[in-house]
Amino acid sequence: MTKLRLEITKGEEIRYISHLDYARTIERALRRTKMPLAYSEGFNPHMKLSFASALSVGVTSMAEYMEVELTDQVSTEQLRMALAQQLPPSIVINRVKEVVGKQAALMAVVNIAAYRIVVPWQTVEAPEAAKIALEKFNNSPAVLYIKENPKGRREIDIKNYIAEAVISNPTPEGINLTMLIKITPTGSVKPSEVLKVLTEDFALPVNSKSALIIRLGLYVETDGVRVSPLEMR
Amino acid sequence: MIKLDPSWLDNVTKPSRYTGNEWNMIKKDPATVSVSVALAFPDVYEVGMSNLGLKILYNILNRINDVVAERVYAPWVDMEAVMRQNDVPLYTLENMRPLTEFDVVGFTLQHEMSYTNIINMLDLAKIPLLASARDEHHALVIAGGPCAFNAEPLADFVDFFVLGDGEETIGEIANAVRTWKKSGKIGGKNAILEQVAAIEGVYVPSFYEVSYRDDDGCVAAVKVIHPAAKAVVTKRIVRDLDTAEYPTKPVVPYMDVVHDRVVLELFRGCTRGCRFCQAGILYRPVRERRPETLLKLARQIVDSTGYDEISLTSLSSADYSCLHHLVTDLIQEFKNQGISVSLPSLRIDSFSIKLAEEVQQVRKSGLTFAPEAGTQRLRDVINKGVTEKNLEDAVGAAFQAGWSSVKLYFMIGLPTETDEDIRGIADLAYKVLNLYKNIKGRRGAKVTVSVSSFVPKPHTAFQWYGQNSSAELERKQQLLKSLLKDKNISFNWHDVEISYLEGVFARGDRRLGQVLLEAWRQGARFDSWSEHFKYDVWMNAFKKMNVDPEFYNLRNRDINELMPWDHLSSGVDKKFLQREYQAALAESFTEDCRRGKCSNCGVCSGLGVKIIDWEGKA
Ligand code: SF4
Repeated sequence: MTKLRLEITKGEEIRYISHLDYARTIERALRRTKMPLAYSEGFNPHMKLSFASALSVGVTSMAEYMEVELTDQVSTEQLRMALAQQLPPSIVINRVKEVVGKQAALMAVVNIAAYRIVVPWQTVEAPEAAKIALEKFNNSPAVLYIKENPKGRREIDIKNYIAEAVISNPTPEGINLTMLIKITPTGSVKPSEVLKVLTEDFALPVNSKSALIIRLGLYVETDGVRVSPLEMR
Repeated sequence: MIKLDPSWLDNVTKPSRYTGNEWNMIKKDPATVSVSVALAFPDVYEVGMSNLGLKILYNILNRINDVVAERVYAPWVDMEAVMRQNDVPLYTLENMRPLTEFDVVGFTLQHEMSYTNIINMLDLAKIPLLASARDEHHALVIAGGPCAFNAEPLADFVDFFVLGDGEETIGEIANAVRTWKKSGKIGGKNAILEQVAAIEGVYVPSFYEVSYRDDDGCVAAVKVIHPAAKAVVTKRIVRDLDTAEYPTKPVVPYMDVVHDRVVLELFRGCTRGCRFCQAGILYRPVRERRPETLLKLARQIVDSTGYDEISLTSLSSADYSCLHHLVTDLIQEFKNQGISVSLPSLRIDSFSIKLAEEVQQVRKSGLTFAPEAGTQRLRDVINKGVTEKNLEDAVGAAFQAGWSSVKLYFMIGLPTETDEDIRGIADLAYKVLNLYKNIKGRRGAKVTVSVSSFVPKPHTAFQWYGQNSSAELERKQQLLKSLLKDKNISFNWHDVEISYLEGVFARGDRRLGQVLLEAWRQGARFDSWSEHFKYDVWMNAFKKMNVDPEFYNLRNRDINELMPWDHLSSGVDKKFLQREYQAALAESFTEDCRRGKCSNCGVCSGLGVKIIDWEGKA
């Protein structure tokens, strides 16, 4: 019995697949490896596989985390080699680590996500206006936003979910925004929503429709110390 | 190559329909091939990805070194709007190549309600819609699949059709195109059409001229107007399916599609002889694969895809001669890998139930049976060799085995049908409910009655029969609804207006081409999706083009009438169909030739094939 934790990527070619599709893709790749995978008992057995926080459609990621259980002893290197051959080029394994002892579920412990948004200027290069917009956003004590989903409308304060000031780097083409978003038991905010508010309420002069969003990483923060799920103990 | 802009895809539903890059996708450098073919499915990705025919052709074409096949599906209406707004031409998923860069664009014709999507896809691809407006600089637009057997309504748009099994034909077409291109396309488009017209199973509609009678508007003659054309085009057939190529590395989609699993084709053809069934005629005779071949294929596909389910497919898979043995072997081999086996439609007998039990299908999902008609008399008319006793036995066995919900499929509007037959449907539903009570001693069964409207199809024994009017079909639906009052019976029925239109195009002729074009111009597309079906648009188009739809669907045809598709042959003699029509009226049974006696339909002798069934031989 082995439990392995993997850090993997979701690349450009598959940025439009949903989290469910992504999970299914990994599951099929694992099955193709013919490794001794563990399945749940019962009528409809499921592969014992779990993921950290789900990724939105359209977002690529440099670090996703998942755990897989195997019925036999399998080394991190064995799994990495076998799985790498079965993954589409847009999914790459960064690191693999064995989970020893009892650890909390990935899903439950990850509480910070870092994102980069690469977005072109609305019309012309306007670094001054962007700087002002960002300062205003970062200095606002609260930023209200109406979250809409099929279940209804709900007003949230975006700033409750922003862990640190949003950093902006202007380029001739547009700006790169870096943000740290909190994932809490009661919810979170999407980077696309932060961008929407920045353009609509803070007059950030960018074309949000052509934004590319990249998840840079997922972290577990405890008592001010931030580590990736692979460093967690 | 088209570079996809995030702003196009961020705002459409299911964007991964348009981005490709799936596992097992075959991507070749277009510069290294001599012939490129776009395989087009005139419906959305998740429907098209389940089509076995296209998977087979994709595999065969791509195995030829200097040939490439790429896939393209109909963009959903939101994506179409984005594409038109940003002037993005329709492109294939492998190389994001515009269709105009291909030598051949091949459509599969699975049902008549997809025709406007074909026109729409050509338009999105910026390919001239009319075959007559395209020359050697344009892609050749070709089509195959069951509807090619009455290709006439599409004759204006398609350069040539391919009848029957495509496994062999497709390579021959690629060869002809390669030679023609290497010659510098000498002789222009006409030259390639002449070349392919010589291939068995290829129909070039522009080589034929159709005339109509002044008095009643029926077809007067179909005249061959080109020396390269055959008077009758007969379908191609794979004689030995066991050695035919089968796609062992199918493309594995990211998104959830219809039939997202290993699909094993057990056999082709079905000779049960249901008189309404077109597939039963078009794919004759039955040709089985060997069980050991199927097991090997299953292994290869599981290995290459990572699917966790194997599904057996055929026109009536339960008739496979070695079914039990195959299913047991599959379960045995794959159960430790978390892979399940799923059975398709069940035959109405207790053997099928036993098998369903063995594969342990999820019980909640319920079992489906298709008695098709409500009374023995009408089942005899349609040659559905199933008795009430068969149904009772099968459903009884299912209830005993623990199932409690049953779905029953019927058709209304069948030839000779009376209200008695409609009441028979309700009676059967109640009998099934009561059967559960008798067996289990309590109520608790759920019965779903699903009723579709019968559409007479060309090349069947009922091709002469006038379809029921929409009013009549609605009346029958209402009658049935009033009889199914029990809360444990749910009732589903089909939109009669879609069936009405399907009836027009199924037995249509070339004069419908202009109606198709006009309806498309007025916005018709995705006609098989009821949320997009625009009946008014269609009726306007018929009116504007001065075409009476009821000439095509509601009219009873004379048994000697020249049909618009009589020059397209499935290998089955028209005389056989006429005999079957008489037999239907006489309510007499015609045996399944697979294991019973031959009824001389003409296929085996005419095409030099024979039934391949491993019963007793394996
Ligand atoms: S020719 Fe005879 S055996 Fe062959 S398919 Fe027809 S009925 Fe069956």
